[in-house]
Amino acid sequence: MFNRETWIEIAHTVTANPLRTALTGLSVGLGIFILVVMQGLGFGLQNGVEQDFADEAKNTIWVRTGTTTLAHRGRQPNRYIELRDEDEERVTEQVVETPAVSGRLSMWGSTVQYKNEQGNYPLMGVEPDFAELDLIPLEGGRWLHQDDVEKESKVCVIGENVINELFKQRSPIGEYIILRGITFRVVGHFAKNGRWGNSMVYIPMTTMQRLFQGNDAIGSMVLSTGDRDLEASTAMVDAIDGDLRLRHAVHPEDQRAVRVRDNQEEYAMFDRIFKGIRLFIWVIGGFTLLAGAIGVANIMAIVVKERTVEIGVRKALGATSGSILSLIVIEAVCLTLISGALGLIAGVATLNYAAPYAQHDYFTDPEVNLRVTVTALVVLVLAGALSGLVPALRAVRIRPIEALRYE
Amino acid sequence: MLALRGIEKAYPLAGGTLPVLKGIDLNIEQGEMVAIMGSSGSGKSTLLNVLGLLDGFDSGGYDLDGVDMSGLSEKQAARYRSLFLGFVFQSFNLISFKTAVENVALPLFYQKVPRRERQKRAMEMLGKMGMDDRADHLPSELSGGQKQRVAIARALITEPRVILADEPTGALDSSTSQDVVSVLREVNGSGITVIIVTHEADIAAKCDRTIRLHDGVIIEDGRSGDVVEPTANGAGSTD
Repeated sequence: MFNRETWIEIAHTVTANPLRTALTGLSVGLGIFILVVMQGLGFGLQNGVEQDFADEAKNTIWVRTGTTTLAHRGRQPNRYIELRDEDEERVTEQVVETPAVSGRLSMWGSTVQYKNEQGNYPLMGVEPDFAELDLIPLEGGRWLHQDDVEKESKVCVIGENVINELFKQRSPIGEYIILRGITFRVVGHFAKNGRWGNSMVYIPMTTMQRLFQGNDAIGSMVLSTGDRDLEASTAMVDAIDGDLRLRHAVHPEDQRAVRVRDNQEEYAMFDRIFKGIRLFIWVIGGFTLLAGAIGVANIMAIVVKERTVEIGVRKALGATSGSILSLIVIEAVCLTLISGALGLIAGVATLNYAAPYAQHDYFTDPEVNLRVTVTALVVLVLAGALSGLVPALRAVRIRPIEALRYE
Repeated sequence: MLALRGIEKAYPLAGGTLPVLKGIDLNIEQGEMVAIMGSSGSGKSTLLNVLGLLDGFDSGGYDLDGVDMSGLSEKQAARYRSLFLGFVFQSFNLISFKTAVENVALPLFYQKVPRRERQKRAMEMLGKMGMDDRADHLPSELSGGQKQRVAIARALITEPRVILADEPTGALDSSTSQDVVSVLREVNGSGITVIIVTHEADIAAKCDRTIRLHDGVIIEDGRSGDVVEPTANGAGSTD
């Protein structure tokens, strides 16, 4: 099928009318270029959001509180709802069962000093389960233990940025740093993506409460849903939300005072959105490609018309309908594939060039994966074959004598 | 070799049909060189196309080398054309983007002959036509006579039993025409049946036998010297 004669035919078709071929190729190439770039942008958006989710486990529920906006049960609005140890205990012992839980009490801009170096970093009091809940990748040393919490130990685990800035690449394990004027021993360090993750200094929750908070407030709370499915985790959210509203006298419609967010549900929602976006991109790209394929079909129809006499001669010389059909279909596939491949290369190159300039919290690595590339190539071959098939079928239906008489 | 029995052929027209061949009975033996003559619209080209399996017929029978050609599929017709028949056209019908040797080799491609073999045989055939020095030329670089020689070489490359030539000298000057007819005569000398549609009496005179058609009917069939110039109504008259 792919012999020298076939390539000569294809070369002739392509070069016989270069402007027409170029414009047709451009329509296909542009179609696949748009498809690839749109897919890349879609993936960039998805990667950005997934990276945001990757900072914490998907099977977690995050409980945050704020100021009430509605009066309820004789209480005025603008009342701050503060979570405390007893809230965490009640939720985990009486409301829901959870394999992991942690409060997270933070203080931003805390001064941290190591020898002559110092800087401002966010400080957070957490419990041992937090490493699992927030997916903290430990790079050295150890994480906070239950023993640290019970003994209110002055130990800390620090992020990579803190090491780089204060320790200048030296190992911090076993070293002492001064946090808000109090000496802590560094027991571990980690490297984590995200804006603040790498700059964080974690200490035991009880230490934070006693030394810097002065009460048993826990800030916010994060719980694991374990292996619960979406329905069960939603029920868990409802139970926690209902209990906290009842306990703190918060109006059921008050959206600000108690906020219980289910990561699993949010991820599912984003997943649905991205599936919709991907479908939308394929539909748009598909229509763009269709327009290109129609262009190829058009040029092949013209080619068949121009070569009607030649087709008649070939049939007189012994060509079968199959050989004429395959010749035209292969020409269409090659035209589509070559121009589409150029569009594909241009699309991938554009994304690669633009990627470093297009990094954002919710947009990162606008890549085109292998599946999209292979799918696009398959779509191209099919589009080429289909666009060649109609004029090819017309060509084989021409009887040799009609073709020879054609002027 | 070729036997037509009561061949009828009509072309559909708006509101009816136009009969073109009206009961043609004809036998052509292996090795004959036959001219088919007739005025415009007499059916001579249609007859050639039926003989060449390029066109079908409505009724009657056609045996080629003893095989009934009635009701052949497109694929079967292509195979018989490829194996038995070679065509020479008035306007040469060389493929413009192929060189002379590539044009000559093309029928072998459809017979699935390997490329080297095709090339070798095409060069030999061009040599026989005195065209080997023009092998790599495109048709646009050849004269009319040279193009027709290439076309004859292409018709002969598959070693057909019959050469069908439709006005092969129609686009050539008289000197070149004689040259082309001489080539066809040489071809015939090797035992190949040659059938030429022509309206030129001097071309027909070079053939063994002349068949004259008028209004879809054979009105004369005899040795070329015996069949003479047509009258105004197309019928022949003897000197």
